[in-house]
Amino acid sequence: MYTLDLVPPGGRVRIVDLRGGRELVSRLMQMGLHPGAIVEVVENSKGPVLVRVRGVVIALGRGLARKIVVMPLR
Amino acid sequence: MSSTKARSAKGGCNVLGCPCTGILTRTLDAKGGCDILVAVAGNPNVGKSTLFNVLTGEIAHVANWPGTTVMIKRGQPVEHQGRRICFADLPGIYGISASSPEELAAREYIISDEPDLILVLVDSTAPERTMYLPVQILELNPKVIVALTKIDLTHSYGIHIHVDKLEKHLGVPIIPVSALKGIGMRELLNTIVDAAEGRLKLRKTPLRVDYGSLEPYISEVANMLLKAGALRRYPARWAAVRLLEGDPKLEEELRAEGKDDLLERVGVVKESVRRFTGREASELLITARFEFVDTIARDVIVRVERDRGFSRMLENLLQRPIIGPITSILMLFSAFLLAFAINIGFPLNLLFRMMGLEWVADLVETYSLSGILSMAFDWAGTVIGDWLTKYGVADWLVSLLVDGVIPGVGSVLTFLPLIMLSFAFLSALEDSGIGPRIAVAFNTLFSRFGLTGRAIYPYLISLGCNVPGVMASRSAIEEEERVEIIYSTQFIPCQARLVVLLAFTASYFRSPLAQTTLIIVIYMLGFAIALFTAFLVRKVLFKLSEPPELVLEIPPIHRPSGKVIWWTTWDFSKHFLRKAGTIIFALSIATWYLLSYGPLGPAETPETSWGGIIGRAIAPALILIGVTGEKAWKIGFLLLNGFIAKEGLVEAAVLVEGASSLPEALRGLGLTVPQVISLLVFSTLYVPCLATLSVIYQETRRLKHTFIAVLYALLIATAAGGVSYLISTALGL
Ligand SMILES: Nc1nc2c(ncn2[C@@H]2O[C@H](COP(=O)(O)OP(=O)(O)OP(=O)(O)O)[C@@H](O)[C@H]2O)c(=O)[nH]1
Ligand SMILES: [Mg+2]
Repeated sequence: MYTLDLVPPGGRVRIVDLRGGRELVSRLMQMGLHPGAIVEVVENSKGPVLVRVRGVVIALGRGLARKIVVMPLR
Repeated sequence: MSSTKARSAKGGCNVLGCPCTGILTRTLDAKGGCDILVAVAGNPNVGKSTLFNVLTGEIAHVANWPGTTVMIKRGQPVEHQGRRICFADLPGIYGISASSPEELAAREYIISDEPDLILVLVDSTAPERTMYLPVQILELNPKVIVALTKIDLTHSYGIHIHVDKLEKHLGVPIIPVSALKGIGMRELLNTIVDAAEGRLKLRKTPLRVDYGSLEPYISEVANMLLKAGALRRYPARWAAVRLLEGDPKLEEELRAEGKDDLLERVGVVKESVRRFTGREASELLITARFEFVDTIARDVIVRVERDRGFSRMLENLLQRPIIGPITSILMLFSAFLLAFAINIGFPLNLLFRMMGLEWVADLVETYSLSGILSMAFDWAGTVIGDWLTKYGVADWLVSLLVDGVIPGVGSVLTFLPLIMLSFAFLSALEDSGIGPRIAVAFNTLFSRFGLTGRAIYPYLISLGCNVPGVMASRSAIEEEERVEIIYSTQFIPCQARLVVLLAFTASYFRSPLAQTTLIIVIYMLGFAIALFTAFLVRKVLFKLSEPPELVLEIPPIHRPSGKVIWWTTWDFSKHFLRKAGTIIFALSIATWYLLSYGPLGPAETPETSWGGIIGRAIAPALILIGVTGEKAWKIGFLLLNGFIAKEGLVEAAVLVEGASSLPEALRGLGLTVPQVISLLVFSTLYVPCLATLSVIYQETRRLKHTFIAVLYALLIATAAGGVSYLISTALGL
């Protein structure tokens, strides 16, 4: 298990856990980033991490991406 | 934190200044004048405001940016089948968990008795995600109609939705619409009337999502609530689910009802969920709800790969690491340059000048849009003056009109074409969906100053006008960031300040290159100071060291709609006109009076007028920005006018000099180049206008802070003005 900021572009992972304040976590979950959700990393270089979830692209700050625990999909 | 978060729902728009795009203009009260009241809810960016505008004929701000609308706005009633239907445009929300003030406001509105129906919008180009909200709302309130928006785009995205099947799943009427293409609007209105009058069956009961293994726990909590008669405002099952999910608002209500023991028992239930499943109840519930959506989606949505051509290419390009940010910034830049160019005939004039065709260049400049307008006002002044004198109108009245109102208001109105053009370009950019990309591009830089890239949106709006810019601060997720934005946006040069910049640079610098360079430098300075201010607020006021975190949906790019561009451009221009007709008009009269009369009645020269006296009182301070001597009192007087509204600065210049044209008036002030530079820097920064100050107060509700903000701006402006005077003198400009 590792965190979202480490996933290279094109990688598909499953969210395992979200850390952070409850307000933020609740917001992310309602946007479709809940534990169990499958996300595809679209872009991940220096700036924010772009992920696609449920057909929608969402930009997440790196610090935030570091708080999202994921595991690889086989 | 939650107490400062109570964003004011009242107060509303400020007629003084700029338009309040997409912002609440009413309080949440009576149903005044409506037969049917429909609340419009949906995720950010699904097209709520567009639909609202098309239905009501009003203008709420539309942009391809999630979070454009920040408060509830209710429109004029729409007549249909003899009924008056009213729509309330709610801010975009992802859910109704009450984790943000917007969500809480929307939820309170949804459960209140006020709306007869709730129209939930689902974006047909992103159905899997946007369908979560109607499911959540249906669990609470069954009086729902669903509209599938942007239906004109669906097929080009390779999506097909079986509407009848979806209707069966949700048990509510579903109407595919495209507000922009006018598809399905009549059906939507018919459905609303039929549903409100009982001819069409809506759901009677809330939707039941199957929460599987959690069901026993839900029943347990629901029974607890029923037995205790707690939270009776809500359906018991819904309240039970929410409590298990964790809901600050409901918890607070339970405490207020004196049922703290219940709260503890809910905690015990949550604990046993955790023990038996190894996971949080909130996670399990939200996952189950999304699974419910997925089950429906699998049955009703067909997706095929579709090439979206140019839009797709642009999206890919803008997502690239280094090229992306550069491209998006260049796009922003060229939009502004283009607006200038069209307005002042640049670069044609430069080209002709380089070819040695001075006179052609002059011609291009004279017959540019604002050149023509300015000649028209000049001509009107003379004609009206002659005509009035001929008919024996009193001298003072003629003077008021010809030396006061016409040149004063005219000097400001000549900038209308430029303002319309820049708004048009800005809104085209906004509507295309480049905005969120720019936000991503700026995020890293902004995070050094304690902001997220999202702050670029209020800043961009502020380029037009600071008033809606300050209000757009509400789209910030974190409260601290919102406050940072409120205090910093005032340094972003708005269109009114651009008017001042353009007027002075055009009068004092012959070379368009020098004009453009100076303006660009001042804009960059404004942005730099805004960022620095945000940084200060975060460090000093909030004592936070970590930057806030970016969370932003990036919508697909699409071709901007002419309709949307027109809405925004017209809405802003209308307010600019209104302002010219009210504030600048009144200011012209006041200025004229102050310059024509003194303590001893009619003043011989402006120096002995009231204006002269006031100006002289301010003048000594101007030594700080290098303005001294003869003209200092005039500048002092101009700056006083500029405090009310920035355009007041040029309006007053024309009157002080009694000149017939703006360049003549400004040159008449006889400033040196370093003085012009320091004056422009100072006037861009010294205070926002009165209207902006009043929204800053309205958004913060802190008189002391607003006052400190003014002092701070004066300090910064004086420092920046003084330094730029020294630098430009040293450079020998
Ligand atoms: N093609 C097409 N585009 C649409 C339609 N309706 C809205 N849009 C576009 O969708 C984007 C978002 O529209 P808005 O009306 O601002 O969305 P909103 O739901 O009010 O968004 P927030 O205020 O941010 O919550 C804009 O770029 C619109 O041009 C439609 O019927 N067809
Ligand atoms: Mg909106």
